[in-house]
Order: sequence, then structure tokens, then C-alpha cells
Amino acid sequence: MLSGSDTVYVLRYFDLIGRAEGCRLLLTAANASWTEEHPEWPAEKANQPFERLPVLVERSNGDEWILCESLTIERYLARVFGFMPTDLKQAALQEQMVDQQADLVPAFMAQLIATDDMKSKQFDEFNTLFDRMVKEHGRILSRNSSKQHLFGDQLSYADISLYAFYKVYIVYLKIYQSDIDEIVKPKLTPEIINLILSIEKEPLLAPHLSKCDSMAAVLSSKAF
Amino acid sequence: MSSSNVSYTLRYFDAIGFGESSRMLLTAAGVEWTEEHPEWPQEKPNQPHGRLPVLVEKSTDGSPDFVICESTNIERYLARTFGFLPTDLKQAALQEQIRDLMSDVGNLVTGYVQIKNGEDKAECFAKFEGLLETLINVQTKLLKDNGNTGRLFGDKLSYADIIAYVLYMNMLVSLVKFKADIVDIIKPKLTPEIVKLISTVESDPLVVKHKSRGGSLVAVVST
Repeated sequence: MLSGSDTVYVLRYFDLIGRAEGCRLLLTAANASWTEEHPEWPAEKANQPFERLPVLVERSNGDEWILCESLTIERYLARVFGFMPTDLKQAALQEQMVDQQADLVPAFMAQLIATDDMKSKQFDEFNTLFDRMVKEHGRILSRNSSKQHLFGDQLSYADISLYAFYKVYIVYLKIYQSDIDEIVKPKLTPEIINLILSIEKEPLLAPHLSKCDSMAAVLSSKAF
Repeated sequence: MSSSNVSYTLRYFDAIGFGESSRMLLTAAGVEWTEEHPEWPQEKPNQPHGRLPVLVEKSTDGSPDFVICESTNIERYLARTFGFLPTDLKQAALQEQIRDLMSDVGNLVTGYVQIKNGEDKAECFAKFEGLLETLINVQTKLLKDNGNTGRLFGDKLSYADIIAYVLYMNMLVSLVKFKADIVDIIKPKLTPEIVKLISTVESDPLVVKHKSRGGSLVAVVST
């Protein structure tokens, strides 16, 4: 189900990768008409439906429709633009992977802010979850005949979400923890690295990724 | 929609937690389902992501079991399969965004009960209270705009209604053992519209036979 050609989207977020990269990549891959707004913060907090960002504004035929919560925005865009299967079981398998990725966020924050007595335990927990995530990505990939995609042979929501996930932990989160990339990179298998680099080369993503630093340079020392 | 050849097993702990919403969805769907409480942590390696809940869908037509995990993923799958989430993408998304906001409130209160340091604990609780108030405002407005029928959306029991009920159950019942005065803190914040939502869900014919480990939430919020 595609939206009308007169539909335009505005993504409101901070000028950061943060929690919005999946949304940006989906809007790009959809070839939607979209722009980004960086609201003054916290001045604009009260003007957002849940007082948080990101927010998606959809304008069509003079009407405006607003959606919040990053993963809900992603799933909505993925369905509207056909990056999520219509079969409920197939969709659930992609959403399951994305939800597992999201579980890493509280684990990362917990080890970041842990007091000395808890640091080691929280760090171990983060590592365990991250290792399990990489293993799951590998398991999904191993069951797919194409090694450039997680499911099927075309760019899907899962592919986009995986790329954004690794970009967050290898590029974005360095602003919080400068050595996070050195912790995470050794965990990546050659198959996962090749998958990341394949997704990065998807023509549909070029309008956005051409404006970003390539992950290839960061990962190239480990690629085949 | 399900056929009589399909049955479900929900694997979770013998607790409300992250399993209750799926229990209520399965009950409301009127399908054949059972619950398993795996030995823990012995059964951890046997679960897809090493965690619970897990949903197993079995069919008598010979096809392999369909197994999924991640609690909100299970919820959405059941809700879509059995019509508790609308097929209209925008209408479904509006319910999902409320669910995500509720998850954030749940995470804040869970984080709060796990923090030991007194100063951080106070700050954490303030964050939780702030987001809870945002949630209550959002839900109250939805309830009022929907004619104050005790339903967040439309005119029948919805995904969002069930999740709201479970969140308030977890906050007002499950958390009492971590913070004895949690009811005294949260109950005064509940608007009459939210109290009506809770009683509308609890008495809905589709879930009225669900016997929650938490007992009656209506009894907790009504005195």
C-alpha cells in the first residue's frame, strides 16, 4: 500500500543518528518526499504529542497526521512502503529481530552509568546480549539463500534495521563511550560485515548514505 | 482468523510481568491455548533468544511449529491475527504508539526498583512520575475523545485497552512488594476515565473468564 504521490513527511528529531536512523533510511528507501526538522529543545518539548522525539508528520491533501515512538514509526513506514511482508508470520520474524536489537539499548545504558561495584556485571550482561544478537543475525542470514539480505532477495525492513543497529554501536555511541566500537567490532563475523557493506551499497539508500561516512572504512580491516 | 486446528502454548514464568498481555489476548481470542512454566535457568538455552515469553503456535496440518519471542512482538502478532489491532495501518500505528509509551513507563519504574543508590533512586522516580503523568494525560484525552466509554479506541476491546490494563496491574499490584506505598502514589493520579477503562476491560465478556494472579484490579483502584 503506497501513499499518494502528494504525501510529504517531516521527521522531527535531533541532529543525531540516535533513535531516528531507521526512520531516515526507510523514508529514503521509499523514495518518499521527506524533510527533517530539528526542534529547539527543550523549548519545543511541550508541542510534541508525547513530549519526546522522534515524531513523524504526514501531510496529504491538506490533512496532517502525527505519529510518535521510533519503532512504531519504523513499522508504520515499513508497512506503508512495502518493506515489511504482509504475511503476519513473516512480519513477526522481522519484528522479533528488531525488538531483540532494541533490548541492547537499556543494557548499554546500564553499563555506561553503572557505579564501580556494578560495572563489571553490567558490562558482562551487555556483552552477553550483544554476542547473542550477532549470533541471531548470523542464524537468520544462514537460513537465507541470498547473503546480501536477511530475508528474501530484496531490501527489507530487517536489512535497514540491522544496518542502523550496527551504525549506532560502531559510530553513534562513541559520543557516549569512546571505546564502544573497539568492544563491538571484534564480535562481528565476516558474514555480518559483508551483509552490512552490501546494505550500504543498496541504490535505494544512496540519497541518505551518500551524505554519511561509510561504514566500509571502519569495518574494512575485517572484511573478506 | 484461527481455525480449530491451531493451538498455542505460552511459555513464561508463573507471574504477571511480560506474559499477562499475551494471556489476555489469547483468552480474548477464544482460541485453544495452554501455558508452560519452564524450569529456569535450565531451559534458558532452549529458548530462541534465551528469554521468556515465547509463543508456540501448533497446527494439526503437519506444518512445523511457529515459534516467536519478544513480548511486544508476540502481542502484536496475536493482536493482528485475532483482530484486536485494526488492519488500517494508521489506526494500528496509533495503538502501537501508546503501547510503546506504556513500555517506556514500565521500563522507568522497573529501573527505579532496581537502583540502590538513594540519590539516583529519587531522580529515577521523578522521571517515572513525569512520564506516567504524560501517559495518563494522553490516555485520558483518548478516552474522552472516544466518548468516555471506557475504551481507548473504537467500540470494542482493543489491543491498547488490554495493554493499559496490564500496565496498571503491574504498577499497582506486581510492584507492591518492591515499594509498599506505590498504590498511594499512583492511585491519586488516576483520572475517572482511566478507572472506567480498567473496569471496562476487567468486565469485558471476552476476558472476564481470565483469572489474573493479581486478582481484581478494579478492587484496587475503586476504594
